[in-house]
Amino acid sequence: MTCAQCRELLDAYIDGELPGEDAAAVREHLASCAECAREHELLVATSRRIGETLVRYQAPDVLKARIRIALAQPDPLATETPSSKPVATRRLALGGLGIAIASSILTFAIVRNVSSDRSLTDEVVSSHIRALMPGHLTDVVSTNQHNVKPWFNGRVDLSPPVPSLDSAGFPLIGGRVDYVHGRTVPVVVYGRRQHLIDVYAWPDTREHRETDMSESARNGYNVIAWHAGGLSLEAVSDLNRPELEQFVKAFSAAR
Amino acid sequence: MPPKDIDRFERIVLPHLDDAYTLARYLLRDQHDAQDAVQDAVLRALRYFETYRDGDARAWLLTIVRNCCLTRQRRAQVERANISFVEDVDVAHEGRGTDARAIEQSERAALQRALDALPPEFREVIVLREVQGLSYREISDVVGVPIGTVMSRLARGRRRLASALGFDAQEAG
Repeated sequence: MTCAQCRELLDAYIDGELPGEDAAAVREHLASCAECAREHELLVATSRRIGETLVRYQAPDVLKARIRIALAQPDPLATETPSSKPVATRRLALGGLGIAIASSILTFAIVRNVSSDRSLTDEVVSSHIRALMPGHLTDVVSTNQHNVKPWFNGRVDLSPPVPSLDSAGFPLIGGRVDYVHGRTVPVVVYGRRQHLIDVYAWPDTREHRETDMSESARNGYNVIAWHAGGLSLEAVSDLNRPELEQFVKAFSAAR
Repeated sequence: MPPKDIDRFERIVLPHLDDAYTLARYLLRDQHDAQDAVQDAVLRALRYFETYRDGDARAWLLTIVRNCCLTRQRRAQVERANISFVEDVDVAHEGRGTDARAIEQSERAALQRALDALPPEFREVIVLREVQGLSYREISDVVGVPIGTVMSRLARGRRRLASALGFDAQEAG
């Protein structure tokens, strides 16, 4: 075997992909050729270093949850990503997905709440619970805020905040439009472990101080309402109170 | 699709989600795009589940993931070429920036940069072999090229990374 032949087979040799006779021929050559042996060592070291250094990623919990939710639909294929079909907006084509928020294990919501208006909070909680039932679609699902925010254009008459909260541990999941209290409102959905978070937004119709914040609970769901940037916002979730507060804090700070 | 088929699909496909996400993450270099691509791929796999014959489920899923990633990249390129919005540029920068911050160690950073700089056809065989441990036959199936081509791409990719690691500095002269 010549050195050129040996070099050509070295990768397959270290990968254990050479047939027995070829491997034996390479081994024999390496034993008698110092230069090729050095090349062999170098290649082994390179391969080992690449394998040790490069990360093998784990699929994020939120991704697993999204997939489980999609597969739990009565007709999972109807929820296929809009990016594989003609879509209304070019931004949606970048990464939007239509999936259904269906599972009762997923329950994290932010809801626009006017604290003085109990019936509105009740409606918002009902809307959140409806969204958790099978068949209720999250209209756009994307982990990219630049896909979700423009999606609301033309669907609702206000532009809800869609901050990226990955670093705070609340990945964006998507958004939908809901009809609550005689109004079409945007709902932005975040995740926390196995929980979902919906965020509802209304125009602020009354005088509020930006620091005003109220908390309440309905049917086991926590609700936090606050005001920011001319909007009233409400969060509803079965997530524990401290973590929901943490979410609202991160959401407000990110604006 | 009957529930028992969905069950079978989940048993066969879902164990390979980490591999699917890893490949998408290296090909697209953005965690959000990678998540969207994997979800695309799983639903596409479900659509074509009838065509799956008992065999290498991982390679089958990775083939679909790879196609979804390529579709996504091609679409993004067309969009960027046709309409240039300032926001699109921001999206790209943000994604890479987040990844870059996560890379702390300098050697890992150097290797990652060298990997990112590889032509995609070299990068994918490196990831499939060195990170995911696929055989040449499996890589050949996933990428859709002959085994000989897998071999030569892997060899060239490794040698470029060896240079980046400084492993062959003494050989240079």
